[in-house]
Amino acid sequence: MVTCLGDLFYPEVGVRIVRLLRRLGVTVDFPAGQTCCGLPLFNSGYHAEAAEVARRTLPLFRDSQHVVVPSGSCAWMVKHEYPGLMKDSPLRAEAERLASRTYELSQFLVSVLGKTRFSSAVAGRVTYHDSCHLRRGLGESESPRTLLRNLQGAEFVELPASDECCGFGGSFAVRLPEVSSSIVDRKLANVEAAGAACLVACDAGCLMQMGGRLRRRNSPIRAMHLAEVLEADVG
Amino acid sequence: MTDRAAFLDRIRSEMARARGVGGAAQRGELAPRPARPREIAETLRRELAERWRETLEKFRVEFERVAGVYHGVASVDDVPDVIGAIARERDSRRAIAWHPAALGVDWRSALSTHGLTTVAMPAAGVESAVERQALRDLIAAADIGVTGVDLAVAETGSLVLRSGSGRPRSTSLLPPYHVAVFDRHALVESLAQAGIFLEAWHEVSSEGREDASGRGGVINFITGPSRTADIELTLTRGVHGPKEVHAIFVEGGLGG
Amino acid sequence: MTELTTPFRQRAAAALDDAFLRQALTIATTKFIDLRREAFDEFPEGEALRDRARAIKEATLQRLDHYLGQLIDNIERRGGHVHYADTAADARRIILDIARRTGARLAVKSKSMATEEIELNEALLEAGVTPVETDLGEYIIQLAHEKPSHIIAPAIHKTKGQVAELFAKELKREVAADPEELTRIARVELRDKFLAADLGITGANFAVADTGTVVLVTNEGNGRMVTSLPRVHVAVMGVEKVIPSMSDLVVFLAILAKSATGQKLSSYTTLVQGPRRAGELEGAEEFHLVLLDNGRVKQIGGTLREALACLRCGACLNVCPVYRQIGGHAYGYTYPGPIGILLTAMLHGGEAVTDLAHASSLCGACLDACPVRIDIPRMLIELRNENVEHEVAPRGERLVFRLFARLLTRPRLFRLAASLGRLAQRPFTRGGAIRGLPGLFGEWTRTRDLPPVARQTFTERWASLEREA
Repeated sequence: MVTCLGDLFYPEVGVRIVRLLRRLGVTVDFPAGQTCCGLPLFNSGYHAEAAEVARRTLPLFRDSQHVVVPSGSCAWMVKHEYPGLMKDSPLRAEAERLASRTYELSQFLVSVLGKTRFSSAVAGRVTYHDSCHLRRGLGESESPRTLLRNLQGAEFVELPASDECCGFGGSFAVRLPEVSSSIVDRKLANVEAAGAACLVACDAGCLMQMGGRLRRRNSPIRAMHLAEVLEADVG
Repeated sequence: MTDRAAFLDRIRSEMARARGVGGAAQRGELAPRPARPREIAETLRRELAERWRETLEKFRVEFERVAGVYHGVASVDDVPDVIGAIARERDSRRAIAWHPAALGVDWRSALSTHGLTTVAMPAAGVESAVERQALRDLIAAADIGVTGVDLAVAETGSLVLRSGSGRPRSTSLLPPYHVAVFDRHALVESLAQAGIFLEAWHEVSSEGREDASGRGGVINFITGPSRTADIELTLTRGVHGPKEVHAIFVEGGLGG
Repeated sequence: MTELTTPFRQRAAAALDDAFLRQALTIATTKFIDLRREAFDEFPEGEALRDRARAIKEATLQRLDHYLGQLIDNIERRGGHVHYADTAADARRIILDIARRTGARLAVKSKSMATEEIELNEALLEAGVTPVETDLGEYIIQLAHEKPSHIIAPAIHKTKGQVAELFAKELKREVAADPEELTRIARVELRDKFLAADLGITGANFAVADTGTVVLVTNEGNGRMVTSLPRVHVAVMGVEKVIPSMSDLVVFLAILAKSATGQKLSSYTTLVQGPRRAGELEGAEEFHLVLLDNGRVKQIGGTLREALACLRCGACLNVCPVYRQIGGHAYGYTYPGPIGILLTAMLHGGEAVTDLAHASSLCGACLDACPVRIDIPRMLIELRNENVEHEVAPRGERLVFRLFARLLTRPRLFRLAASLGRLAQRPFTRGGAIRGLPGLFGEWTRTRDLPPVARQTFTERWASLEREA
């Protein structure tokens, strides 16, 4: 599942994931007709509309053994909310099945494939931001760290207050832009304190927010998706 | 204005609505309650008596953590010396104390040898308004308040004091220095155990009666001195209540 | 642009411009977060107790009428009186009646959000009763004629200099901007009030049904003063605060102070059982409990039922990325922060929170911190859903989202939109980033760059990517 932000704004992330997975021996398919998981609609309260999107999305992955998602928030939507949205629908069982077969990228690499050691596509210090839906929603804070700590050719440092929100929150970022910007500035102050040249996250929304602000401030710090940092499996 | 019946009726109809909608997602479960708390409390007391030293040590650590000042003495006769020293260091001359019947001992004359005038709180209520006011003024002017302790909770470093005849609330509240005297019988290890005692104190007998003799309308868990951090999060002590709490442990027991 | 700029957004932006407020909030909330974390780190039973506490609240709600009935019986058995307030106005009327009947002129108050909620102080003043807040933080904001800005630290937004000025004005003399000195002054000033007051007014953190006990959790000692010295004690309490037994109480005591301030217990946990007993020197002669509905009862079967478990500890405020930036006043209602949005909806209806329901990035830190695990984000989303379904959300917004939804359910339209976006973005794209967009997107680009829609979306690249395999 490439996700709407991934498809439109970060296709390179999707490309790298496909190539990485193939090199790991995984057969990768991309079911046609994907648009979005519906999270933006759901979070803003448009549940009927979100359910429509879910109904369209579910059958696309009917034949997939595993569904890998580059964003923690989208993975959360599928795993956490799809079953509830479909609770009065004939697609309910399908939603539960999809939920159990869906993984955010780092979860897939570490828990399903058992791959933890990769060479790094970047040198120097990398730090990691825990996106809210991945850490709190899916309870996942270890897999990304395992991958980053084991990076060959880069040094991982913990980000102070790594689990504090980046201020994206979907439409929140444009409904309350002043607050959203203050929140990301606090996040970036911590990033600067960590002394890392590269800030890694597993969510396109967070990357858009943090990366967008870093660029506007002409910061040398680069916000990158996990997939952009993992180069090759070194066993 | 609404009355009890109408008020509770409305609540009941909302509760019915909740059940209809499939109500709560969560399962409800109350805390388990001891069936005969007084018996259990007795048993607990006996068990705790065997490990009072450990419990005391835990209490001391936690009590000091919340800025309590701990003192240990061998016998009940040593207590006035400690209180005298506390008074001297703080230039205190006036003390109030629970009634000797409530404390189990009378230290007034011993304390006077330390230059501390101690007024015992009356055994019961005071009828005359004039007397009550005079007493209140005296209490408000006291430097030290001496009390006993019903429970000393090691887990949190707390002193539990029940109000009642001869043991008014103000003794541990109005004077700036509170001195609480206790022995091993007051020690409990945890809040959960304190809960058993709270149940025991309110246990209703087979005749449907609660034993409330001599008991007052308040139970206080006191955990350190009065404090606030309301101004710029700076911690200060002695806001309305005492600025110091002292606990004197009497190894030889208080007798009473 | 006016449709985008809500009153809440304006208040939030104004708060962001207040440099001292932001600094005070950062220091205070960070400190509370650290204290809470340390307290739970050394308390391994804590997680299980949180679950148990939540289960107790749920079990109580399932038989709320029974436990309230028991509470009422036991309070009356001890000689206390219980009153029933459907609305805030009812509650005020009840309390004013008690004040009038007992000839009260001076009332001392212990900290109570419930009395803030019903706006009691103004009513007392109008009735000729002087209310004096005795919690130091509440005393400060009373002098400042402000509302509390945090549930447990009401004056968090004030500097010691500002406090000193307030005291100086009140006392008509010079006052040093030193917390120790200011505390000492408050102690002396308020001591007189405690001793002179006719009426003591408190809230209640809990009320134990089977013993008729009202529980106050405080640090300063004012709760003890207020319930022991004046002739009359009135406690105002939301109906949801009742718990069945003392055994239940200690479960909550074990986690409440830890969640609020990191303390194992607050300095004073005061269990008040009715008026003074025979043989007691002190204690109120009359004890009154005012049971308050004010929107709570309707939620027993409503969307916000979970919020009835709230212990008013403030932990969610301390971790909320929004609250930490803007503080409590910007929310505009009695209760701020994450739980405050839900309580405001409870008290004033869903329409009151059309913008406040969006004062959240749904990060979930509040749920994490809540001692009774209230799923605040879920209920915020529910409120947003309700506002959409009841057409309370702005029409323009609903149009945009429904259009958006249509795009998402038609892949061809989606791809078309992407192509159009690629074209439209050209004038705004420089150096690989988009800046200065108009309209809604301008809300983003004012402070952040936007990545451009890619030259080739992933979907468009798939064909060649597939061939690579």
